[in-house]
This record gives sequence, C-alpha cells and structure tokens, in this order.
Amino acid sequence: MALVELHSVSKSFRKGDETITPLDDVSLDIQAGEFVSLMGPSGTGKSTLLNLVSGIDRPDSGQIIVDGTDVTKLSRTQLADWRAANLGYIFQTHNLIPVLTAYENVELPTLLLKLSASQRRQRVELALEAVGLSDRAGHYPRQLSGGQEQRVGIARAIVAHPKVVVADEPTGSLDSETSQQVQVLLQRLNQELNITMLMVTHDTEVAGIATRQLVLDRGKFVDRMAGTQR
Amino acid sequence: MIAYVLKTLWRHRTRTILTVSGSAVAMFVFCFVGSVQEGLHRLTTGSDADRSLIVFQENRFCPTTSRLPEDYARKIREVSGVRDVMPIQVWTNNCRASLDIIVFNGADPAQIEKSRPLKLVSGSWDQFRSQRDAAIVGRSIASRRGLKVGQQFSIGDLSVRIAGVFESTIPSEENLIYTSLAFLQYTRGLDSAGLVTQHEVKLTEDADPDRVAAAIDEKLRSGSVATKTRRKGAFQASTLSDLVDLIGFAHWLGYACVGLVLSLVATTTVMSVQDRIKEYAVLQTIGVRPLTTMRLVLTESILLCLVGGLSGTLLAMIALSLGGFAIGAEGATIAFRPTPNLAVSGSIVSIFVGIIAGIAPAVQAATVPIVKALRQP
Ligand SMILES: Nc1ncnc2c1ncn2[C@@H]1O[C@H](COP(=O)(O)OP(=O)(O)O)[C@@H](O)[C@H]1O
Ligand SMILES: [Mg+2]
Repeated sequence: MALVELHSVSKSFRKGDETITPLDDVSLDIQAGEFVSLMGPSGTGKSTLLNLVSGIDRPDSGQIIVDGTDVTKLSRTQLADWRAANLGYIFQTHNLIPVLTAYENVELPTLLLKLSASQRRQRVELALEAVGLSDRAGHYPRQLSGGQEQRVGIARAIVAHPKVVVADEPTGSLDSETSQQVQVLLQRLNQELNITMLMVTHDTEVAGIATRQLVLDRGKFVDRMAGTQR
Repeated sequence: MIAYVLKTLWRHRTRTILTVSGSAVAMFVFCFVGSVQEGLHRLTTGSDADRSLIVFQENRFCPTTSRLPEDYARKIREVSGVRDVMPIQVWTNNCRASLDIIVFNGADPAQIEKSRPLKLVSGSWDQFRSQRDAAIVGRSIASRRGLKVGQQFSIGDLSVRIAGVFESTIPSEENLIYTSLAFLQYTRGLDSAGLVTQHEVKLTEDADPDRVAAAIDEKLRSGSVATKTRRKGAFQASTLSDLVDLIGFAHWLGYACVGLVLSLVATTTVMSVQDRIKEYAVLQTIGVRPLTTMRLVLTESILLCLVGGLSGTLLAMIALSLGGFAIGAEGATIAFRPTPNLAVSGSIVSIFVGIIAGIAPAVQAATVPIVKALRQP
C-alpha cells in the first residue's frame, strides 16, 4: 500500500462567474521514502494539490489517504492533530514566527506532541543540526539570511518526525547559491532520514533532485516520468 | 505557548503600553466611582444608619440653622425604645457640597467614648476629656490635612488642640472632628449656650425605629421648637440629597469606564489578530488546533485587560487609602475608602472585559481560512 494515495480527486474554485478546475479527477500514489517533484505552469493547481494532501483544504470529490487515514473525513480539529503528528509543511516564504527565535520556531511543533522536556530539546537540537544551524538557535528570523530562514523552516517541518513532508516551491524565493544548499539539504533528508517528500517547483533543475517527477497541466498529470535518470 | 503571547505583546510594545495604560486610567476611575457609591451605600445602610435616629429641627437642613434645646435630651430619654441620647453641636466650614469639608461634632467626651465605635490610633482619651479645647480627629481628615497629636488646628473662629487621632468602623466618621459639647457651644459666633444642632438617639434592641421617631416628634411638638426625627441613614441621605443624585448618575461613568476598556482592548486585539492572520494560518498548518488558537488570542486580550485593570485598581486603592478623600455637604460626609470588595470587583471586571474583548478576534483567528490566508503575500 502506498503512503499517500489520491483517488479521483477534483477541486474547483469559483471566481465570479467562471469556475476553474485546477484538479480534475486526479489520482496519484506516493510510496514511502519517495521524493516526488511536481512541476507545471503557474496557476495549474500544484499548491492546491499540496494543500489537499495537507488537509488545509478539502477536495470537492475523491479520496486522499495518507498512511491509512482518509484525511477528507477528518474535522478541522482532527486535521490539526493529524498534521501535528504526521505532516511537515515547508512554505515558499519560510513563514517563521517573527517574535520567536530559530530554536523556538523549531520547537513549536514539538509542543503539540506528548514529549518530555529533554526529548523535546533533543529533537530540536537534532533538527537544527540537520539543517546546519545549531549556532543560530538564539537568532530571530530577522537576524537570519533568506537561506537560513528557509532552513529553519525546513527544520520546523521535520522536527516532529512526520511521515510526509510537503514543500511548496521551497527554493522559489532564494538566489541560485542558497537554492543549491537547500536542494542538497532536501535530498539528504530524503536519502539519509528516509523522509517521504512531495515538492512543488517550477525549476527543472530543482525538480531533478527528486526520485520521481510529475507535471501537472490543465487539471491532469501529463508526461508522467516515473523514475528519472536519478 | 504563553511565551509566544508575551513576545507578541512585547513586539508591539507601544500599542501594548498605550492599551494597558488606557485601561489602567479607566479602571482607576471605575474604582473611584465605585468607592463613592460604596461610601454612599454604607452611609445609608448598616446598623449605625438603621439603629440610630437623628432628631433635627423641622424644615432645617444646614446644621447652622437647626437649634434645639439641649434639655430635649431628657424628654427624648423618656420615650420608650430609646436607650441613650447624645446631644450634638455641629459646626461645618461649608454648608454646600465640597471635597474638603470640615465638620466638628461637639458632644460629651465620655459619651463619645462610650457610644461611638472609635479607637484612638494616637493620643489619649484622658487628654480629650481634661482639656476644654481638646479635639480628636478622624484618620481621613488627619491624613488629608496632615494633622498630628499635640498640634493646634484652626479654622474660621475655631481653634482646637489635637488630643488624638481615631479610626472608626464607620468610614464616614473618620472625616469628623470631635470636641466637647461646651467648647463648641461657646465658640464665638455660634452663641449656642443651652442649644444643640441635633440629638443622636440609640435605640433598644427591639425598638421599631420609625415608630420611636414618630413618638419623639409627637412628644416634642409641645416644646419650643418642632423637630423632625429620622433614621440616621435616611437623615444623611436627605442631607446629601443633591449629592446622592449626582452620585447615582456617576455610576453611569463607571459603566462608561468599563465600556472604554472594552473598546480599547477589543480594538487592539482585533488589530493584532488582523495584522497576524497569516501567522494563525501558519500555526494551524503546523498543527495548532483552532480552539488553542482561540485561547492564544483570548490570553492576549485578558493579559492586556488584567495588567491594565489591576494596575489601575491598585493605584486607585493606594490613592484612596492615602488620600483620605471625602465629599460632603451640610455636615454629612461620604468617605471614599479602598475596600477588598472594590479590589475584587475591579479584578473580576478586568478579566471579564478581557474575555469579551477577545471573543470576536479569537473566533476570527480560530476560523481563519488557512489557504486563503497563506496565499496572501
Ligand atoms: N482559495 C482560492 N480561491 C479562488 N481561487 C483559488 C484559490 N486557491 C487557488 N485558486 C486558483 O486555483 C488555481 C490554482 O492555484 P494554485 O494551486 O495556487 O496554482 P499553482 O500553485 O500551480 O501556481 C489558480 O488559478 C488560482 O487562482
Ligand atoms: Mg503555488
């Protein structure tokens, strides 16, 4: 059984008189340990797909099953609990809490789990170490560079040991050098920590770090390139 | 999570400080108004107000105009239900409403000691009894005027030597100055030998105050001056009737203060949530429950109200206890005292207002459309 399963998922939005359907009867399986990249022209529904998998948005029809749980059937509170335990979300713009330090930002998801203070500290330290920012733990977001902020965002997404991490254009607002660092980091997390990833990007080079590349266009997957050269 | 709330408030400290100090000022006024209301309430209720009568000249209001024979006391004592009578000469510097009213009550020192619930905090009863121009002063007026034992205190034609400072279980009494009856009667300008302003009547346990009052007036009808006898509470309320209306109106001011705190804190919290609506979407994406989100916002508004409200209440309590404030007219005074009751209601109002002010923004934060908020730049 796949870790993430989408069965005939559709989602449309109403914009004034017209209805746009970014996802039209889409199905997809992601196996545990896979690193899937999702490309496509902007406005085709890539983010929408991530949001549905994360349970912060709901499909009009279809099933989304993550590790045996149908997330479309959960209440808003149940979804919050489910995300706290199972999902990491990496935003395009890191979305760190500005009043909290790097350490506190990373600590936030662990506060939602039943952990002892020492387990919590250990997890946060490990996550910061994984993204190479142990020495910046006490810094506030505004004291960090764009690349560092994004790495704190990544640490926050993995600190609770989620089953799936979704990333919405994680390098989209970084220059090419820091983008490179983040790519290497994401690849390492997938390979070394075996984290299952679903990443949206519109950069072919970035998509190249994935183990499987998908392209979404006009509500459907096109040109499905399972298992690329990597 | 409380650290997050505190840091958020600290981040916008200008806004926080303005809101907190605004709430503090409003709650300060709220407590002051409450204290006046309490003072008035105390004056017209309680055993002193209900179980003593004041015999006054009919159709007279200012103490300078009521002149009853001193020996009415003997006749009043004969009425059944009367336990004791104390003839009192009253002198005041101001018959109109005033914030710095000075009221002298002249009566027999031994009787004062026996029948009034007074305790000397300094000085001695012996000295009060033995010197003709000796006076004991209430704690409030002593602190307001900076009076100490041994000092001479003069006002108008009166000049007394302070023999003691007293506290009383009846706060308004702490605004009085007691002298001997003879001293006040023979004061130049008063010319009241054999006359007193009023008689204070103590009732026996089972006496019906209104019936005794009527009996006294009936008995004295044949005397040289007609009288009007009322319960002390009713007497003071009617003496202060202009003020009573004003004070009754002032409770609206109290409500206005609560409304002010409410709108101030609500505005700040709404602004704070709207500024950071995306942050709440991020928190919920991470896995913070909607209800927890709501609690975070409520904590914020309650903290604002509580810090502001408690400091305003505390300041009011300090001001009230140090200031010895009183408002009075025609020889009766209303004391503003800090009471535990007032402190508790100030705190409860603060928490309550904090919750009310936070509800709308809390719901807004909890039900934020996550995707839409995240799509904002
Ligand atoms: N909450 C929404 N309300 C209305 N339209 C939306 C909403 N979210 C997305 N859309 C529309 O759906 C389409 C797909 O959006 P999105 O998934 O963000 O695209 P992508 O991430 O591929 O650029 C776009 O046309 C967008 O305008
Ligand atoms: Mg997008």
